[in-house]
Amino acid sequence: MILDQLVWPLALVLAALVLGPYLLAVLDGLVARGLGLTRGPGLWLAPLRRGAWWLIQHTNVTEAPDGRAWRLAPALYLALAAGGLALVPWSRAWVATDIATSLVLWGSIEALATVVIFLQGWSANTHLTLVGAYRYVALGLSYILVSMFVLIGVALPAESLALTQVIISQQELWNVLRQPLGLPLFLIVGLAITFRGPFNLADSTDLAGGTSADVSGAQRLVWEFARSAMLVAFSGIATAAFLGGWLGPWLPGPLWVAFKMLAVLALLAWLGPAFARLTPEHCVSLMWVVLLPLAFVDLIWAGVEALS
Amino acid sequence: MELLLFFVILILSLGAGLLLQWWPSRHHPMPTYPQRAPFLGGGLPDTHAWSRFHVRYYPMALLLIAFEMEMMFMYPWAVVYVAQGMKAVMEMGMFLAILSVGILYGWREGVFRWQ
Repeated sequence: MILDQLVWPLALVLAALVLGPYLLAVLDGLVARGLGLTRGPGLWLAPLRRGAWWLIQHTNVTEAPDGRAWRLAPALYLALAAGGLALVPWSRAWVATDIATSLVLWGSIEALATVVIFLQGWSANTHLTLVGAYRYVALGLSYILVSMFVLIGVALPAESLALTQVIISQQELWNVLRQPLGLPLFLIVGLAITFRGPFNLADSTDLAGGTSADVSGAQRLVWEFARSAMLVAFSGIATAAFLGGWLGPWLPGPLWVAFKMLAVLALLAWLGPAFARLTPEHCVSLMWVVLLPLAFVDLIWAGVEALS
Repeated sequence: MELLLFFVILILSLGAGLLLQWWPSRHHPMPTYPQRAPFLGGGLPDTHAWSRFHVRYYPMALLLIAFEMEMMFMYPWAVVYVAQGMKAVMEMGMFLAILSVGILYGWREGVFRWQ
């Protein structure tokens, strides 16, 4: 009882929190090689080397930062990612946080992520970080609606806001096929919440690094780690909401969840560098004028499908 | 029980995040002031970071609040949707249609494209 409810779920969440970002870094390295962006040895060691360098590097500070908030922002971002991972059901029995409103809790994590990313840009007290932070808020206010409409779509056939019920409702057909618009729209949200690829408005190179322009050392390590961990948590939620979670033949449930999460991560790692970055105004227009109506269509589709 | 584990995970990760930032640099001296100048991609810091920024997406943020209010109704709506059937479709359809007019109006007024 204790083993099933506490120990195994906690172990799985912590394992995903530690291993996930590393595997994502390896996948990023693979994609970068495939696109011919980098060469050289050390596919498996390069992320560790980069992490160790950040860990022992002297941390620089700015002249008058909001010191406490600056330290708190990366740690909070990591905590939000861990909270998201806690919601992922690994099997029928192994769920760290199996509450009736886990989709709502994930929505609040997405909203709080915007606050934390703004805090990171704000507290350095320099220009470029603040510009990155304001840009991110524009993006954060735009993607959250797309995300929630798509997630309400998966809640309709389940008649519940619990992720376990959402998975059980996919026993006949996974949501990725039943609501074909859902997963592509949700993947865009995943790129936006971790500001990767086309939606990297916060940390973009035209801002010389944006919110992390003045962040170095261990602080930078925690920030980048949390950013990857958030994508891992997102892939867990996407797996549960659209890819049937633990459902699958032969293998035990947690393995299926891990495979599906890795597949989502690989897809996202490829989508990131495959598309050009959007300007903030285009990004916001795209979110509200194209993607949000598409999310409405997805919701109507899900609704009609659930009633038929 | 579930929420206990949630808070345990939150506190563990928050603590790890703070410790990982504090522990390696606890003996490092503070950098000198010239080194602390903000990195501006090569530019010189000739203005203060506290100079006034005009964030030009207030109308968009207001539009978001309208939809967030709608979201609050949508959570319970999603749970009873199948039980209520066509009635639920019509209700939420009307609500969304009214809010969509807001998007169209905002689009025409250039809310999503600021200069």
